[in-house]
Amino acid sequence: MRKIAVTGIGIVAPSGIGKRQFWANIKAGRSFVKKITRFDAQAYPSHIAGQIDDLDAYTHVSERLLKKMDAFSHMALIASEMALQDAGLDIQKEDPNLVGIFLGNAIGGWLYAETELRDLYREGREGVSPYMASAWFPAAPQGQVSIYYGIKGFSKTVVSDRASSLMALGYAGKTLGKDKLNLILAGGMEAPVTPYALLCCNTYGCLSKNNDNPQSAYRPFDKKRDGFVIGEGAGIVTLENIERAKARNANIQAVISGYGTTCDARDRINPATDGKELARAIQMALDDAQVLPEKIDYISLDGLACDDWDSGEVSAIKQVFGDKAKTIPASCPKSMFGNLLGASGAVDMITTILGMEHNLIPPTINLDEPANNGLNYIKKEAKEYKINKALVISRGRGGINSALVIEKT
Amino acid sequence: MEVKDKIRETIINLLKLKPQELKDNEKLCDGIGADSTELVELVIALEKAFGVKLTAKEITKFCSVNDIEKTIQSKLSQTVLK
Repeated sequence: MRKIAVTGIGIVAPSGIGKRQFWANIKAGRSFVKKITRFDAQAYPSHIAGQIDDLDAYTHVSERLLKKMDAFSHMALIASEMALQDAGLDIQKEDPNLVGIFLGNAIGGWLYAETELRDLYREGREGVSPYMASAWFPAAPQGQVSIYYGIKGFSKTVVSDRASSLMALGYAGKTLGKDKLNLILAGGMEAPVTPYALLCCNTYGCLSKNNDNPQSAYRPFDKKRDGFVIGEGAGIVTLENIERAKARNANIQAVISGYGTTCDARDRINPATDGKELARAIQMALDDAQVLPEKIDYISLDGLACDDWDSGEVSAIKQVFGDKAKTIPASCPKSMFGNLLGASGAVDMITTILGMEHNLIPPTINLDEPANNGLNYIKKEAKEYKINKALVISRGRGGINSALVIEKT
Repeated sequence: MEVKDKIRETIINLLKLKPQELKDNEKLCDGIGADSTELVELVIALEKAFGVKLTAKEITKFCSVNDIEKTIQSKLSQTVLK
């Protein structure tokens, strides 16, 4: 594929809002997983999460608009504004027909939906906010962001479980490569720390129940893993063709050079344990980028911390990288703040770009003794290392596989 | 409270406005830029506030506070007559 420039970064995460605060905490290896305090979650088997408590302090959105949207749209608006500012872009000066927005989300805006459904059963039809119809569904953030900035070009919301935002980035890159647009806001957002969303995540059955030790609960690839921890937030970047980015002297923070996606087609929840289809997606992304496996300096792991998912991921990496898999540094930084589901891939890409910028590999915290050998896991502490080319892996329920290659310029 | 004051209070609370932003003779779509969903919300809030039934056609974005007052006064007088 044509290389696509990442020129601005917007991050809203439990580890920090804004890339400076976020990176400082990632670099330090701090955990932001804690007991859920937004509502009484004690009765849930898993009641820990990466929760964001200070969103309002960062908002640029009016109270009038805020009451029409769920938190996941609010997060997307904040991340979009940060990305545009970071890119030095005044969107009002862009041709609105040539600006697009590609976002990923898995579950929609449940806090809004739950509240209104409660009112529906308590008070009847008239108790429900008319904004309910437009606030809860997964494409709501795309709508809100496009209205806020007057974005009128080809746009899309990808709903593919946890792989959603990495797929949105890949799709955005392909669209820019065809010269369909000048600028795309791309990434994802998720707000699952709500009673019903948490219930669904618990029912799914892959969440850690280590509620007494929140900070050490999310243990990807560790022998004592017992599932992942959910988190909330958004990761959105500005994407432009390299020629345009260079012409306006933009700070090209990285380039997206390859994308691949496949499906396991095996089970509605669990992945195929052989990792073959994930391996094919990784190979597809490498071929797309015209990068040989041995040229990859870092692998950002999906790391769900469940046996079948972790072992399949390690198997896939070994199938593509062979013996080289033992030497390429690999980590799962989301162990620090939780799995942001539909937003996880975009946040992983942003973390990787920040790692490239600072020549530092963020660690997998809580990885004491690997259950799956054969990878060069960066554990506990960040490691100084120059990353020129990286692979980001993101997977969704039922075995949706996506992989992205990014490169330093 | 006067009918007009109650209408103003309802709109101001609903749309998070400052009192000076709401002009009595200005169409809702002009000064405060009310959208269609806000009007649905406004109809529901006015119905609750005055105990009358209103239709979406009666409260449109081309209405002003003064227009809404006339509509509601008319509804209230019909209620009294009944």
